[in-house]
Amino acid sequence: MNSQKPLEELVSQPYKYGFVTDVETEKISKGINEDVVRLISEKKKEPKFLLDFRLRAYRTWLGMTEPNWAKLGYPVIDYQDLIYYAAPKKSQKKQSLDEVDPKLLETFDKLGIPLSEQKRLSNVAVDAVFDSVSIATTYKQKLADHGVVFCSITEAVNEHPELIKKYLGSVVPMNDNFFAGLNSAVFSDGSFVYIPKGVDCPMELSSYFRINSGDTGQFERTLIVAEEGSSVSYLEGCTAPMFDTNTLHAAVVELVALDNASIKYSTVQNWYSGNEKGVGGIYNFVTKRGHCRGIRSKISWSQVETGSAITWKYPSCVLQGNESTGEFYSVALTNNYQQADTGTKMLHVGSNTRSTIVSKGISVGRSTNSYRGLVQMGSKAVGARNYSQCDSMLIGDNASANTYPHIRSQQPEARIEHEASTCRISEEQLFYLQSRGIGFEEAVSMMVSGFCRDVFNQLPMEFAAEADKLLALKLEGSVG
Amino acid sequence: MLATRKWLEALSSPNGVLKTVQRNGRQHLSKIGMPARTQDPWRLADLTRLEELLSLPVSSETLNSSSSEQDSLPVVPQDRFRLFLDSRSDLGSLSLPDGCRLLSNDELERFLGQTLDKCPSTTEWPIAINQASASCVLGLLISGKKVPPIEVILRANSNELMPTRLLIILEEKAELDLLQVFLGEANSAQSHLLEIHVGSDAKFTHSWLARGSGDSSLMSQISVQQDLNSEYALNFIQYGWEFARFESSLLQVDGNANSTIRGLQITKGIEQSSTHSTVRFDGPEGSFDQLQKSVISGSSHSIFHGLIDVPKIAQRTNASQLSRNLLLSDRARIDTKPELKIVADDVKCAHGATVSQLQQEELFYLQSRGIESKQATNLLLKGFCYDIFENSPVELENWINLDQLLVSLQ
Repeated sequence: MNSQKPLEELVSQPYKYGFVTDVETEKISKGINEDVVRLISEKKKEPKFLLDFRLRAYRTWLGMTEPNWAKLGYPVIDYQDLIYYAAPKKSQKKQSLDEVDPKLLETFDKLGIPLSEQKRLSNVAVDAVFDSVSIATTYKQKLADHGVVFCSITEAVNEHPELIKKYLGSVVPMNDNFFAGLNSAVFSDGSFVYIPKGVDCPMELSSYFRINSGDTGQFERTLIVAEEGSSVSYLEGCTAPMFDTNTLHAAVVELVALDNASIKYSTVQNWYSGNEKGVGGIYNFVTKRGHCRGIRSKISWSQVETGSAITWKYPSCVLQGNESTGEFYSVALTNNYQQADTGTKMLHVGSNTRSTIVSKGISVGRSTNSYRGLVQMGSKAVGARNYSQCDSMLIGDNASANTYPHIRSQQPEARIEHEASTCRISEEQLFYLQSRGIGFEEAVSMMVSGFCRDVFNQLPMEFAAEADKLLALKLEGSVG
Repeated sequence: MLATRKWLEALSSPNGVLKTVQRNGRQHLSKIGMPARTQDPWRLADLTRLEELLSLPVSSETLNSSSSEQDSLPVVPQDRFRLFLDSRSDLGSLSLPDGCRLLSNDELERFLGQTLDKCPSTTEWPIAINQASASCVLGLLISGKKVPPIEVILRANSNELMPTRLLIILEEKAELDLLQVFLGEANSAQSHLLEIHVGSDAKFTHSWLARGSGDSSLMSQISVQQDLNSEYALNFIQYGWEFARFESSLLQVDGNANSTIRGLQITKGIEQSSTHSTVRFDGPEGSFDQLQKSVISGSSHSIFHGLIDVPKIAQRTNASQLSRNLLLSDRARIDTKPELKIVADDVKCAHGATVSQLQQEELFYLQSRGIESKQATNLLLKGFCYDIFENSPVELENWINLDQLLVSLQ
């Protein structure tokens, strides 16, 4: 039985979100300089402190170099050949959804994100971001009743400047890395969430990011602040049309959890990954970091990464508060010529801090899938614990699976355990399932699903379904 | 750059069988200069110690070792053969046991560097230092299974940097049991470059004891090339050096070979000890098993960086790597990076790492049975190190007083 070929055909299904929506967009001209930064700030009618923040970031960025330690293979990016701001025309935030361009609503419908609240059965509030600009945020009123702020970051800048001033850049400083510096200078929009003291957010919050323009860089910024004793679950989804050029996406996500607060951040990333020859696709260079500032605070990252030509992403936790907890659950599937270099950093600062890392990588075709992580126990992290597990599955003998963990400890009373393994879909297992009447596709899907189970179990209900569907789509092709 | 230039200028002009190597090494060294923190393999290294190392003069050939020094070493058992590798020994007049002969100068010129070039690359700088300065080289050709166990003693005196180079070729079906002992006196440094070619069906049991003292330094590079069905097993112990860097690079040329590495590094005071290991399989069905242990105390820093590279051709490889670390003090530091790079899909590869202190439950268990806390700690530490000793020749115990060493850590 030769299972190799059908297996590879099976995982090479077309990208179904690859359509382009024909709406009028307003773009600024290509290139970046101080005037462009000023122009973006002006277009968004920002207060002076934010313009200063951007300019400082821009000047810092000029002195920085692109990181090359991940050894990802991509041509040099010409940062002057990108457009740094694009928005659907007449982009003022709509008062009601009726005013939104029906074409846009249709786009989100196609993506399976109905924005009209009355149609929405599940209890999820959505902030939809189209190119660089937030289009609509649903359930705003209901959230406001609980004191929860959920809006685009542009609105937040004007409505809650004190919060933005206090927290923006406090977790990911502008000089953190090259892409974070660029983002700080030109970020266009994104979501802002503020959960007041003692409030359990009454519903799941969700952002949906859609890139529509081919030559526009995407620089969104998300900031979530959970005050003492509050909790929130936030979901993020991403898709893009098919272009044969590469689009740069350099986002920054900052999470702040104070005493006893808990933030759960889930991502299903399905940016366009390029065609089967590796042409086109999104460069996904993202900086995500959570700061557990308070005691017993908790930040949990879960991600399902299936898209992007290149993924460079390390959602991290700084565990400063004593007894705080960090979690990272990840499934990364790469196919064709995709490259994923993803993992996490768990920086244990406070005592009795805990972290768990579960990473599952699936490499298919000629792709490269790497886990890169750091677990660091600082000298004050007495009684801290970490457990990491990194498993790789290889489908076909042209894909590569790499594991680069770095463990560092300065505290004898901390314990770290790391394990990693590699496996494949073996012919014996396939034969076993098939001999029991299970079809080939279903058998493969079962095995992959079983491989990823530990991570899927951590996703919120709505997302678990979407993630399953996404993997099924990539692996089976029969589910729409 | 200045340190390098000064050091190069102080070297005597190239001579002997390694003349060309020295010339090329010097050229290369002046090109690459000192390592920098921005270079990945040196990110964690204490670079000031490298400069200190260059401040030592290269050992000269005129000194004669006194016989009293030799007397202080453990007695050689009758069935073993001992030789000294340093610039003072007259290697040409060695009478070697049956099945073992010296490589001629022609052969040395032909074979030196072959394995080094073939194996996955190690860091350039220590190799360049060795090539630029080493005039002391020994080449051994082993044939047959009857060769008695060989001990090679490498001893650096105070206030000198001793570069040495060793090439060992095991012919088809040959067997060798080799113990290398590195001794470092205070304010001494050693640079050692070792190439091993294990022929098909040959078996090499390699033990390595590196015992430093005071502010001694050791930089050692091993390249091992294994042919079909060969076996290579390395047990190494490294302790007492203020700066020690051990790099091993192993290549299974056609796969289908067995390799085992068991390493232990013990650090105390302000020592920095690092182990860097790379293994690559250029053929199918190879197996590799590595266990790397560290005991870290005082304000010392222990580093382990291991890489298993399994390219597409290496189907059905079975490789595992485990890094286990005991951190005994809150001023000590451990960095461990066990890495996997896999392209072949039908392989079994696993790695693991743990960092902790001694388990309180285990200490409590021993204490509840009337064993004093200090003794209990010692017992557990000994147990932790035992894995490495288990497979080493018993003679190793003559060289190392483990009890004393472990007590000195507490």
